[in-house]
Amino acid sequence: MDGEKYWNPIIETLPRERLQQIELKRFRELLRWAKDQSPFYKKKLRGIEPEDIRTMEDVAKVPMTEKDELRAAQEGKEPYLYGDLLAVPPERLSVFHQTSGTTGRPVYFPDTYESWQWVVEVWCYILYGAGFRPQDRLFLPFAYNVYIAFWQGHYAAEKLGCEVVPGGALDTQGRIQKAKEVRATALMNTPTYGLHLAEVAKEMGIDPRRDLEVKKMICAGEPMPEPTRLRMEELWGADVYDHIGGTEVGGWGGMCSEKRGMHVIEPHYLLEMVDLETMSKPVPPGTKGVTVITPLCRRCIPLIRFNLKDVMLVMEKPCPCGRTSIRVDEIGGRVDDLRKIRGVFFTPAIVEEVIRSQFPEVMEFETLLTREGAMPVLTLRVEFAPSVAESQVKELRGRIREKLKIRSNLTFEIEIVKPGGLPRYTLKSSRFKDLTKK
Amino acid sequence: MEYDLKAMDREIKLIEESVGRLRELGGGIEVVERNADSILAFTYLLKRNISDILE
Repeated sequence: MDGEKYWNPIIETLPRERLQQIELKRFRELLRWAKDQSPFYKKKLRGIEPEDIRTMEDVAKVPMTEKDELRAAQEGKEPYLYGDLLAVPPERLSVFHQTSGTTGRPVYFPDTYESWQWVVEVWCYILYGAGFRPQDRLFLPFAYNVYIAFWQGHYAAEKLGCEVVPGGALDTQGRIQKAKEVRATALMNTPTYGLHLAEVAKEMGIDPRRDLEVKKMICAGEPMPEPTRLRMEELWGADVYDHIGGTEVGGWGGMCSEKRGMHVIEPHYLLEMVDLETMSKPVPPGTKGVTVITPLCRRCIPLIRFNLKDVMLVMEKPCPCGRTSIRVDEIGGRVDDLRKIRGVFFTPAIVEEVIRSQFPEVMEFETLLTREGAMPVLTLRVEFAPSVAESQVKELRGRIREKLKIRSNLTFEIEIVKPGGLPRYTLKSSRFKDLTKK
Repeated sequence: MEYDLKAMDREIKLIEESVGRLRELGGGIEVVERNADSILAFTYLLKRNISDILE
């Protein structure tokens, strides 16, 4: 029965043309709202008339919103914290979150009760699509702090009818014990922390596959290349699902049981892809581009054509699950991390893909970009599992170098780090460091 | 399965109207105002998920 397969069978199986009609209508409504209520957009959208936006080509004429503009619209402006971005009276706010600040000063994102419920609602689509049901006991091994993803997951799981166990004030060992004690059937964590949890569990003599009852896991907080997802499934003996989202826009896509890409939550979001070179011309499905997204129903701080600066590839072909939404097939990393090295485009996502798919012996790694004179140098620092014998290291080092060369067309220096020598991340990992800028 | 979207939309509107009447009866007391706001946040979602699909 459709009602069991989908969170909302009415929307999730609509013909694509109808989805697009609704998205265009909502886009016009959001433009009107933003022009009337947001001081930031009042200025930015001067000369744009919502009624003139009839087609996707018209949408592309509306200026994009960049993250730096959001910072500038908040800094030193009233009302304090939110400045020109706020489109509702401050007394209506009920929730505060902020961006991680990885790329600069954090941006503050509040919600009203209504807009927060919408953010939670789109996460219900994500969790339901990933098979979360009222029978699940979801353990979240995190102190969520001011970061949105885990709060969304928490409240959406609760709304779905799952039993939610927050695992904040515990260390990693304590979290593993708690997951065991409560017999958690589901976890939500970053991919990096999922790997770390499994590593620590094994050190404690707990085999996640055998001794825990986790059957599904939803990942958040950082990109998860397919080899990493498969490795997590192997380690945990569970179905591992990815989702895409961010503080500014909420969770906007998630994997269904087919695990072939991530369904965009249409028509709650309008997704556009633009070309890498000009960052303005639309590219069709099947071509890599930069992602531009509009959350269509979040009115507290409206965002119009927000440039995520993530390189992605989307596909329009139907999914066997029956959902008609467009899917993100591949995430190619951040535009900010793209480097041209010796004439070759390099993205750190390639390293993760190679390491996670071919080298289970590697526990942790990081890539450094430095300079020797005028020459850029890429160094991969790797930490092997304690089980790797000294005699294996030379062969492994050579093979990693070779596979990276084949995949990236670039030569890497390989540096071996003793076990535990590289940082472990609970939230956003930072495995690429460009030291040429210092 | 076929869904009667028009009938569902009518019920959603009735909830909104009913909340409006409750508000009037409450005369501004917090317990009614705040809970009415919460109900309206959920009718907003029902409208986005159901009513907007009507042609």
